[in-house]
Amino acid sequence: MEQQKRILEIRPRWRKVFSDLWGNRIRTLLVVASIAVGLFSVGMIATIHSYLTNDMTKSYAAVNPANIQVSVSSFDTDTVDAIKHVPGVLDANGVRLVNLRLKAGPDQWISVTLVAIPDFNKMTINQVRQVQGQWPPADHQVVFDLHKLPDANAKIGDLVEVKLPGETTTRQLKIVGTVQDQTIGSSGGGGGYFLAPLQGYITYDTLEWLDQPKELNELYATVASDPNDEVHIRAVADKVSKKLEDNNHLVLNSLVRRTIDHPNSVYVQAMTGVLFMMGFFVVFLSTFLITNTLSGLLSQQTEQIGVMKTVGARSGQIIGIYVVLILSFSLIALLISMSVSGQIGYQFSRILGTQLNFTVGAYRTVPLAILLQISIALIVPLAAGIFPILQGARVTVQEAFNGTNAAGLEQKSDWIGTITRTIHIISRPMLISLRNTFRRKGRLLLTLITLTLGGAIFIATFNVRASMEDYIKRLSKYFVADVSLNLQYPYRVKRVDQDILNIPGVAMVEGWSGARVELLQADDKPGEAVRLVAPPVDSKLIEPIVTQGRWIEQGDQNAITLNELFLSKFPNLKIGDTLRLRVNGQKTNWIVVGFFQFAGKSGGYIGYANYDYLSQLIHTPDQAATYEIVTSGQDHSFQAQKAEGELVESYMDKLGYHISDVGAGNNTLNSASSGLNTLIGFLLVMALLSAIVGSIGLTGTLSMNVLERTREIGIMRAIGASDLTIMKMVIVEGVIIGVSSWFLGSLLAFPISNLLWVAISTAIFNASSSFTLTPTGFLIWMVLVLILSVLASVIPARNAARLTIREILSYE
Amino acid sequence: MALKGISADFYAGEFACIVGRSGAGKSTLVNMITGVDHLSSGEVWENGIPVHKLNENQVALWRGRNLGIVYQSFRLMPSLCLLDNVMLPMDLCGMYDRKKSPERAMTLLKDVELENHAFKPPSAVSGGQQQRVAIARALANDPPILVADEPTGRLDSMTADIIVEMFEKLASQGKLVIMVTHDTSVLSKATRAITIQDGELIQDSKKTG
Repeated sequence: MEQQKRILEIRPRWRKVFSDLWGNRIRTLLVVASIAVGLFSVGMIATIHSYLTNDMTKSYAAVNPANIQVSVSSFDTDTVDAIKHVPGVLDANGVRLVNLRLKAGPDQWISVTLVAIPDFNKMTINQVRQVQGQWPPADHQVVFDLHKLPDANAKIGDLVEVKLPGETTTRQLKIVGTVQDQTIGSSGGGGGYFLAPLQGYITYDTLEWLDQPKELNELYATVASDPNDEVHIRAVADKVSKKLEDNNHLVLNSLVRRTIDHPNSVYVQAMTGVLFMMGFFVVFLSTFLITNTLSGLLSQQTEQIGVMKTVGARSGQIIGIYVVLILSFSLIALLISMSVSGQIGYQFSRILGTQLNFTVGAYRTVPLAILLQISIALIVPLAAGIFPILQGARVTVQEAFNGTNAAGLEQKSDWIGTITRTIHIISRPMLISLRNTFRRKGRLLLTLITLTLGGAIFIATFNVRASMEDYIKRLSKYFVADVSLNLQYPYRVKRVDQDILNIPGVAMVEGWSGARVELLQADDKPGEAVRLVAPPVDSKLIEPIVTQGRWIEQGDQNAITLNELFLSKFPNLKIGDTLRLRVNGQKTNWIVVGFFQFAGKSGGYIGYANYDYLSQLIHTPDQAATYEIVTSGQDHSFQAQKAEGELVESYMDKLGYHISDVGAGNNTLNSASSGLNTLIGFLLVMALLSAIVGSIGLTGTLSMNVLERTREIGIMRAIGASDLTIMKMVIVEGVIIGVSSWFLGSLLAFPISNLLWVAISTAIFNASSSFTLTPTGFLIWMVLVLILSVLASVIPARNAARLTIREILSYE
Repeated sequence: MALKGISADFYAGEFACIVGRSGAGKSTLVNMITGVDHLSSGEVWENGIPVHKLNENQVALWRGRNLGIVYQSFRLMPSLCLLDNVMLPMDLCGMYDRKKSPERAMTLLKDVELENHAFKPPSAVSGGQQQRVAIARALANDPPILVADEPTGRLDSMTADIIVEMFEKLASQGKLVIMVTHDTSVLSKATRAITIQDGELIQDSKKTG
């Protein structure tokens, strides 16, 4: 009784709101879903954005990454101490990097870079995060970075065999632990994170055991101030290089990096661009969805509004009731979205963090995500519903009871009816469907907009995926060879070609020259490393994507083509300019003749030059250390390439060649495109969100359309229409809407695809590349929208068909 | 033009029936009286208030406080229980203390012998019971005037008689009851019969006591 009394103290108008929410749970679910999907998307997007931008920067800064990385011929710990006193330097560490080969299978060797650390306790720069097992390793032990460890086919506790450079001797190292090193890929010339080889960490004494000199060859330094000012860091780096040179050390190259520049930050920038765009689209989409759903809901309440006006309700009170109703929907939607968007956004960010090699911190509430969701929950549904509410509040009692509204939409001229009455070849029930589709023009327009936009975004993500896959395929033109054989030093091309062509399965071979060179700065001090590649000018094993100028031609001397990173870092660089490079210690001038697109700005500096000119310059005429091999078989899969590579290695090893590395062409391609694949997966999740929003829109509209025509259905049943006829009419209406939206969405997909692709390709490649269309998205959406149209209409149609005529005609 | 030259005065305590064939203009007249429809010409006065000059919101408030309307199709709020339906006019017009409204509403339901069904929705009771609730709702703000448009149209004869008896009783208690009906048998219980034909008032018989 007491409880009843308390309940009765709530005013009837608010109990009506609660009854409206609870009484028609399916409708409530639809409205709440319309709002929640937009809120959830925005919440998830804001959460992911926060984790990607903040956590990547934070986790990278936490490892105290080197601002300056200098490759030096050799130096010792005294030199490191001296560097610490260079003005502007905060701290300095030295390590030795050793490139070896590790046995990953019976005849399979992979590249591995071992980092020998003199004193783990003093290793303050480029710190690693211990993941599993032991850290640091003891002598004759190794701890590997997680990245690429699967390639070694080994785990903690295993002994791995490493081949010493220039020898056939091997050593066995015990794997004792794993770590995460976020600085992998930061050295620029290595090709970025995805192309970097397996990296391991050993003690200084293990170096000796591996027959390596106990000398440092890589200096890391951090700056004392402005660690994110590249100009300042470069100035300090120059002082460091000068100090080294003044002490008779040969500086091979010097690169600088801001503390906030994680090696994979370009992918995050691309994702951020996509996130913002998708966030905007989804809110836009959601607004239409909410408007449509609320319009339908309020039109069902017209009679009740009339009744309330007969018992004294004024417009302000009516508005108040429905504002509270809408806010109630918003609150429920907000509670749902806030409880899941944060967690899902967090888990998604963790997946991205693993793929992009940074650490996502503990789960936290992202204030911006909460604020955005609350703001949108308060503003958007009300904004979307205010017009229908005002329309409903303005309706007179007369109009409410007669089934018209203030605008008298039902009374407008029925041009569709006029048209359909003149068509005789289609059955009358189908013509009624056609007419019904266009009866509620406002609702139809809103539904079409929602479905069209949702479909366009869905299709666009597939087109962007196709553009990326197409780009990856075009990238493969840089890796046409099935096998890349890298020797430790150049050999005579003719001799090597002959030997390789004798290997079973080999159809073609080309010897390529190349060198790791350094950019020379204005004061001729060595800067960042550049990988300079020189295939034969008539090479059939490369089809570059030239974006400006031209490729290397016959007769070129010091012509050079450069990858997209040059344009990003040196925006004023143009065709015809002179680029100074230090090649094998020699200062040289190169004329820029073209720019090409490679795998993105994270792949390091890459340049292509004329084979004859470069090989002369590095005193290896008619010689090469790299051989690109094409097999004769039809199977160019990764497995086939790997098998052939093992055969080549074994054969050449027996002939006494000193092999540095043998790789399958697809392997390099797969590695280069791994980052892009992460983006593709990300885009597909966004496509799914769009599809869900569109689906809710269609379901809601069709359900409301059927609900509003229950009386009409009853009359048709009374005059002889069968259940099947009723159901067909409703389904046809749904299919007409679905197909119309597909058609419009397909058209809209073109500009949206272009927009998305421009955003992504600019972020990654610093230039928009050509865009690819694929029928996949169009076809999948067509099938989806047809299925949805049928499903969304079948259920309400079946429910309506099941009611008895008496029930329907007494329906109010 | 639905109505032509109709002029009539109504007084407290009258039980006036408006009769006529379908399309005669009975409902139009009632809609004019209740402010639901707008006059193209003419005036409606209630206790010195020019109803014809009020705007929509003013009419709604006037209606809630001064009129109780009963419809043929009951027009109860389907999402509210019977008690809430009766309380709704009190809530919207603010004429009774909020804490006292439930008690008053329950009393009204007792008067129509439906207090045991107070917390049921309209769909859970019969047509006759719904109409009785509609009458209770119409009396929520104790209006001086009760207007009923074909209130027995969907009821069986026994239930219809009960409803008409209630109107008789209300008129005898001093309320003005105006009822539109097809049912000429009701005329014997009314104190006044107004016949409308083709939009014109052709007969108005006032009966005394």
